[in-house]
Amino acid sequence: MLIDIEALLKSDALLKALEASGLATRIRDSVFLFPMIESTHVIGLALVVGTIAIIDLRLLGIASTHRSFQRMASDILKWTWGAFALTALTGSLMFITNASVYYHNFYFRTKMLLLALTGINMLFFELSAGRTIHNWDTAPSAPRAGKAVAVLSLAMWIGIICVGRLIGFTTSRAAVAPPPPAGVSFDDFLGAPADGGATQSTPAPHK
Amino acid sequence: MVKQFAEWLSTTSPSVFIQNHNGWVIPAIQSIHIIGIAAVFGSVFMIYLRILGWAGMDQTLRQTTSRFGPWLTGGLWLMLVTGVLMVLGEPVRELVTFSFWLKMLLVAVSTVIATVFLVAVRGHDQQWEERLIKRRSIQGLAILTFLIWVCIIILGRLIAYDHIWGPWSPATKA
Repeated sequence: MLIDIEALLKSDALLKALEASGLATRIRDSVFLFPMIESTHVIGLALVVGTIAIIDLRLLGIASTHRSFQRMASDILKWTWGAFALTALTGSLMFITNASVYYHNFYFRTKMLLLALTGINMLFFELSAGRTIHNWDTAPSAPRAGKAVAVLSLAMWIGIICVGRLIGFTTSRAAVAPPPPAGVSFDDFLGAPADGGATQSTPAPHK
Repeated sequence: MVKQFAEWLSTTSPSVFIQNHNGWVIPAIQSIHIIGIAAVFGSVFMIYLRILGWAGMDQTLRQTTSRFGPWLTGGLWLMLVTGVLMVLGEPVRELVTFSFWLKMLLVAVSTVIATVFLVAVRGHDQQWEERLIKRRSIQGLAILTFLIWVCIIILGRLIAYDHIWGPWSPATKA
């Protein structure tokens, strides 16, 4: 128990240190840095989701059915990863401006969980349909496991967009004022101590 | 004028309905709007990459535009519908801004360019494949219109931060 509290304090100290960093302060103090970072985040995520959807629709046999899957994947996925890097970078920059609030936000945690699940989904693809790619590369659709991966991927990315937008609605100065009820803490789900809700931090000034 | 119209609009019944359910309706509409951005921006991105020769070179330009053109058009319709709903839900927040009107101007410009381009490729297939696409001017125009789409996305987000325009923003005067 003592160790848990200690770990928790440490993690909050880290979040506070991120908020106090020169970079975070600079973004908070600027009138246009945060909006520009947020816009770049939208541009990046549009490319991530847009290009992933192209691949998923190919797996499902809905679009681009006449193209070699491997050719398409090697053609498109490098842009997806580039856009993902841009999105992760801008996301991190937004996170540090108000780290302790985002960290405890339900929708932020759900989004991180979904992001991790899309990674596992990708891994599952590599271990299942990805292994027999040469058998269906030019077929109009992937085998059943590949289709399941595609449906899950589309659903999770749509979910990521929705919870992502909700972060903005629940972490702004006005929305943060009443702390969420302790009962809906996502901590239990992620394996953090159950009393995590007690450390609800006061929001940093946020634009 | 616009402000009065926006205030009148906010008293109409569809607007009142959205305002009364704004806890989830507005985030939901905004999320669908972002999914529309992914469809439109992803589609134009693939077409631009093909024009510039950076992706999709196993496909002809015609194959690329017929693959992504319908998603571009469909996405634009989805964004028009969700965009109208957002204006209905928050007329003053949307309409009494500099960002919104500049965005609408750029949307009009890029929609015309996209339509003319899609029709031109359909009508003169071979010419585009063999000559036009390799012209510096066409490639430059592709980059320019791509940047217009980038500006549209930025301006859309800036509606929420219209004060950054300072005296240009009608919101700061009101």
